Amino acid sequence: MEIAYFLGCIMNNRYPGIEKATRILFDKLDIELKDMEGASCCPAPGVFGSFDQTTWATIAARNLAIAEEMGADIMTECNGCFGSLRECDHLLKENPAKKDEINAILAETTDKQYKGETKVRHMAEILYNDVGLDKLSEMFTKDLGINVAVHYGCHFLKPTAEVGIEESAENPTILDELVEITGAKSVPYKNKMMCCGAGGGLRARDIDVTLSYTKEKLDAMAEAGVDAIVEVCPFCHLQFDVGQTEVNAKYGTDFAFPVMHLAQLYGLAMGLSAEELTFDAQLIDAAPVLEKLA
Amino acid sequence: MSVLDTLKSLIGGAKKDIDKNLTKEAESVEEAADSIQTSSEEEIEIKSDSETISEEEPLEAEAPAEEEIIVPVEEEEAPEEEAEEEVEAEEAPVEEEAVEEAVEEVPEEEVSLDEEEESTDDKLSEDEESLEVAVEEVAEEEASEENEESDNMTLLKENDIYSMDDIDKEFTQKFVDAGIETVDHCFQCGTCGGGCPSGRRTPYRVRQIVRKCLLGLREEVVSDPALWMCTTCYTCQERCPRSVKIVDIIKMARNEAAKAGYMADSHKATGSYVIKFGHGVPINDKTKDLRKAIGLDELPPTVHSHPEALEEIQKICTACEFDKLIGFNMETGELE
Repeated sequence: MEIAYFLGCIMNNRYPGIEKATRILFDKLDIELKDMEGASCCPAPGVFGSFDQTTWATIAARNLAIAEEMGADIMTECNGCFGSLRECDHLLKENPAKKDEINAILAETTDKQYKGETKVRHMAEILYNDVGLDKLSEMFTKDLGINVAVHYGCHFLKPTAEVGIEESAENPTILDELVEITGAKSVPYKNKMMCCGAGGGLRARDIDVTLSYTKEKLDAMAEAGVDAIVEVCPFCHLQFDVGQTEVNAKYGTDFAFPVMHLAQLYGLAMGLSAEELTFDAQLIDAAPVLEKLA
Repeated sequence: MSVLDTLKSLIGGAKKDIDKNLTKEAESVEEAADSIQTSSEEEIEIKSDSETISEEEPLEAEAPAEEEIIVPVEEEEAPEEEAEEEVEAEEAPVEEEAVEEAVEEVPEEEVSLDEEEESTDDKLSEDEESLEVAVEEVAEEEASEENEESDNMTLLKENDIYSMDDIDKEFTQKFVDAGIETVDHCFQCGTCGGGCPSGRRTPYRVRQIVRKCLLGLREEVVSDPALWMCTTCYTCQERCPRSVKIVDIIKMARNEAAKAGYMADSHKATGSYVIKFGHGVPINDKTKDLRKAIGLDELPPTVHSHPEALEEIQKICTACEFDKLIGFNMETGELE
C-alpha cells in the first residue's frame, strides 16, 4: 500500500516527533508514505476559508493535484489539514462551476489541474479501518498503563454528514479504541467533544477567548484525574501544550498535562525514546508521566 | 409596510419575550406587595414598615448590572430586621418570605434575557423602575396600570427599526450562489446557540447571524466583531434539525466582512505568512535543529524545500487578489 503523506505546517515545523513516530510506525506496517514534494499549507480551513474562499480552495486544490499526480490517496494526521483538503475536495465535486473557476486559476498560475481523483484520509481512520486494531497491537512492545483524556478535536469527525467516519460525533469511540490498545485508559470527562478553542482563527484573533475554552477543557480533565492528553491534531496539540502554559499564566493555575499526538503515544508503545518523539522540546514536561511508564 | 411588520415581528420576537418576562416579574413583585399589604391591614405599624422598605429601595435599585438584582434583595433583609425590632416580631418573617419568593423568580427570568437580548441594561433599569413603582404604590396599584407599564416597553426606538435601506438582497443571494441555500431552511429554533461553546462566553449569537444573513442585513453582519468568535467546531451544524450548513454560512459571511475591510491585523499577519513562506506556521531554526537531531531532513519536503512551489503559491495569491485583500505589498514582501 502506498499513500501520499501530507505534512501540513504545525507537525513538521513545530513538533517533528509526531512525524518521526508516524514514519517509523508506517514503515513497520509496510505502508509506504510517499512525500508530497512542494506541498504547502493546506491552507487552514477556519482561517483562510474565512478570508477568501477562492484563494483557500485554489491552494488546497493544488495540494490535492499533487497527490493526484502521484496516483495515491492523501493521508494527513492533522484535523485542520484533513478538514481543509476534504472540504475543498467536497466543494469542487459538488460545485462544477467552482471547480472550473479554480482550475482556471490553477492553469494560469501552475502546471496542475484538480481532477477529483484522490481521496483525503485521516491517519487515525486509516489505522482503524485499513490496518485494524489487532495488527496495530502487534507493533507494540510496551504496555502504557496511564490514564489519558482523549480529545477528538473538531474537524476529524465533523461535519459527520460529509466526513462519514462516525455516524454521530456526540459519543464516538474510534479514537478511544485506538488509544486503549496501547494499555492506556481513556477516561471519560466533561465536555470531551468540545473544541480546544484554537480553531477558526480565534487563537490569532482573541487569545483570551481561546484560553477560556482551553481552561474549561483542562478543568474537566483535572477533575477526571488524567495523566496526559491524547489528540490527533497538531493544532490542538499546540493549543494544549503552549496554550496550557498560557492558561497557567493567565489564571494562576498549575496544569501540567503532557500532550501526546496519537502517533507519539504509539511511539511510546513501540519503545521509542522521549527525545525521538521530541517530548523534551514540548513546553509541558512529559518526564513525570514517562517515568511512570518506566 | 407588510415587510416592515414582518421584520419587526421577526427581529422583535426576542423583545416580546422580554416583555412577557417583565410582566411576570411585575406580577411576582405584586404578589410580594400583596402579602405586605395583607399584613398591613392587620397591623397599622406594619405599614410604616413597608414604607421603610420603599425608602430603602431607590438606593439599591441604582445598581444597573443584572446580577446585582439579586444582591439588593439579600441586603434588603437588613433594614427589615432593624424594622422588626420596632414592629411586632411575628409579622416580619412573613414579609421576608414573600419578598424573597418574589425576587427568587427574577433571576430565573433573567437567564432568558441574558441569552437573547443585547440591550439588557436599558431594559433592566426600566425593569427596576417597575419594581420600585410596584413596591411604592402597592396598595393602590391596579393590574391594568401594570400592563400599561409593560406596553410602553414594547415601543421601539427609532434605531430599533429596520428599513428597506438595511436590506441587501444580493448579500443573501451570495449564500445561495455558493451552494448554501440551506440558509433559507432555518426556522430559528436556537439549537445551534444552545450547544455553541463560543456563545456561552462571548456575544456571538449564531442563530441571530444566520437570520440576519437570510434577511440580507449585510452591514450588521459584516461589522459585528462577534462574527469572528466562532472556532468552526461544527457543534451547531451537527445538531441542526434542518441541516443548515451553519459553519459555511459563517465563513461566507466572514469572506464578505474581509472584503468590506473588517479583518484583524493578526489575521492579515497569518495570511502574509502563506504568501511569504507557503505555510501559516513556517519553520524556524529551533525546529530545524530538532528535525536534524531525530534523523529527519532539516527542511521538510514541502514548499520549504521547493522555491518554485513557493512561487506558485504566490502567483495563486496574486491571481486571487489575496495580497490586496490583506494589504500585502508583493514588491516589499511585507504588509502595508
